[in-house]
Amino acid sequence: MMPQKKTQDVVLTAVWGDNPVFRQILGICSALAVTNLVLNTVVMGAAVIFTTALSGLTVSLLRKWTPRVIRMMIEVLIIAFYVILFDQALKAYWPDMSRNLGPYVGLIITNCIIMGRAEAFANANPPLLSFVDGFFSGLGYTIVLCCVAVVRELFGMGSLLGMPVPFFSSVLWDRWIIMVMPPGAFFTLALIVWLARTIQVDREPKKGGVT
Amino acid sequence: MSLGSHMLHLSVILFAAIFTDNILLARFLGMCSFLSVSRQVKTAVGLGFAVVFVMTFTITLDWFAYRFVLQPYGIEYFRFILFIVIIAAFVQFVEMAIERYSPVLYHNLGIFLPLITVNCAILGASLFMVIRDYNLAEGIAFGFGSGAGWMLAIVAMAGIRERLNNARIPKGLQGPGITLIIAGIMALAFIGFTGVLSGG
Amino acid sequence: MDVRDKAWYPILYMFVITLCLSTVLILFGSITRQRVKDNERIAYERAVIEALPIDLPRRVSPAQIHKLFIRSVHDATVSSAGALRYIKGDSLIAYALPLEGPGFWAAIKGVIGIAADTRTITGISFYEQNETPGLGGEIVKSEFTAQFVGKRISETSNPVEIRAVSADLDEASVHAITGATQTSTRLGKFMNEQLARWREQVTRER
Repeated sequence: MMPQKKTQDVVLTAVWGDNPVFRQILGICSALAVTNLVLNTVVMGAAVIFTTALSGLTVSLLRKWTPRVIRMMIEVLIIAFYVILFDQALKAYWPDMSRNLGPYVGLIITNCIIMGRAEAFANANPPLLSFVDGFFSGLGYTIVLCCVAVVRELFGMGSLLGMPVPFFSSVLWDRWIIMVMPPGAFFTLALIVWLARTIQVDREPKKGGVT
Repeated sequence: MSLGSHMLHLSVILFAAIFTDNILLARFLGMCSFLSVSRQVKTAVGLGFAVVFVMTFTITLDWFAYRFVLQPYGIEYFRFILFIVIIAAFVQFVEMAIERYSPVLYHNLGIFLPLITVNCAILGASLFMVIRDYNLAEGIAFGFGSGAGWMLAIVAMAGIRERLNNARIPKGLQGPGITLIIAGIMALAFIGFTGVLSGG
Repeated sequence: MDVRDKAWYPILYMFVITLCLSTVLILFGSITRQRVKDNERIAYERAVIEALPIDLPRRVSPAQIHKLFIRSVHDATVSSAGALRYIKGDSLIAYALPLEGPGFWAAIKGVIGIAADTRTITGISFYEQNETPGLGGEIVKSEFTAQFVGKRISETSNPVEIRAVSADLDEASVHAITGATQTSTRLGKFMNEQLARWREQVTRER
């Protein structure tokens, strides 16, 4: 039986304390390319949550039988399996979105968050807890990406979820094309990391902010 | 095609992969280790060499796997899984091999090898090779060029970060924050490169 | 001695896991294969219809698209120089020329519609592209494609020029996409090559 407190801790650490993006700076590749439109980011985030949660569960279920030497290969295999499943499902049932995301769904395989969670958590913890950890790590990642996407889409294209926003879509607002382009992602992410870390450093002065 | 023009074609692919189409700064792949292992020039060079080496070889292996296994059986959608397994297996194999035969090299390069499995630049390069329908020679040139380009970028980044050690940076911005901002500026600079050579 | 210590165990283990996962994937792949193919086919047919002067209702089901396509779009002939023909009643209304070429990331596939006079463009539509979402990916948006409607193909080697956003336009040019210079340039290159070739051929055949 797992104690209630433990689950809560895992959730909190995954989403805030050890947030994959601003705490560990993992999984940036896909973050840069897709975060210029909120809708794409949400679907991409869903894919990451799906994969981290289920691969955490699977890796944890198999952990007692997996030989250490081929551990990484097995983890990669499991992750790739879920990503292909998601990709194929998207192609079959939401072709428009599949076309939008293009090659990025496949690149989730190499998203270090998923591998990182499998390696650091699922390998040593019971299945259900690993599932929860994976789910919330993915969620933490998605939340940060959505923040980035909101900023980029609003400033860069004057819309949110594809719908024009008053003022930002009018002639008064000169669209910041740089926001849609990759450097915009770096700058936005840097500002969010800055903000989050400043809050964290204030709260827990002992730990500091260095990874 | 004559030999001369063939070599020219290959070198265009090579240089495009290094500069104008830099896999890291123009395509934004391989970001994680770029941000986390770029604190010192020395380690950046080590990781850079490891990436060049692994990328050149895995792209060759992936080319054979794609041409002789995936295509004949019409199971191209299996390429993600096959490519990543080949990469993981190759990295693991190299790690074991150099650990046994060259302790010095292992000491310098070994710690970076596990990082490479999850370097999306490696998988990304293989996927580009498929998308662009490269032949073997083009694939190798592209793989080597992409690796070299990646190395160039991470070494440059490490050089900048070493100088930042003495700079006064706001607390919350230290570490990843400032690195992201530098990366953004580098990306801006590299956008200027796109289109100089049309090798893609 | 535990089986897990045997030398062959990792290999067998890897094999079993790969087998299990692959079986599931192949099963799922074969279930969805037809659907994926149909989706691709419909996307193509939709692009053809969008490029032609056909009014498409806002909400339209895949079945309706397919029916419309079968009814009004006819195969290419020698005199159409490889373009599909849109026939209404007995008269030829327009041609739909498939375009294909390299984009920034991967191949771009699309269709351009040209009226029966072989000069006036009736529309353009893309059904396969992997350009960066929000940048090159904007070629599928109506802000870009709507520019083509009504343009006249010029007699130069650049039948429809894609110009920088700051440039002035004439009846044979459109604006590129801001921030997606590469996609715009590459698209312009293969589109104009194929369009120029088609223009020569169709003029010769008529």
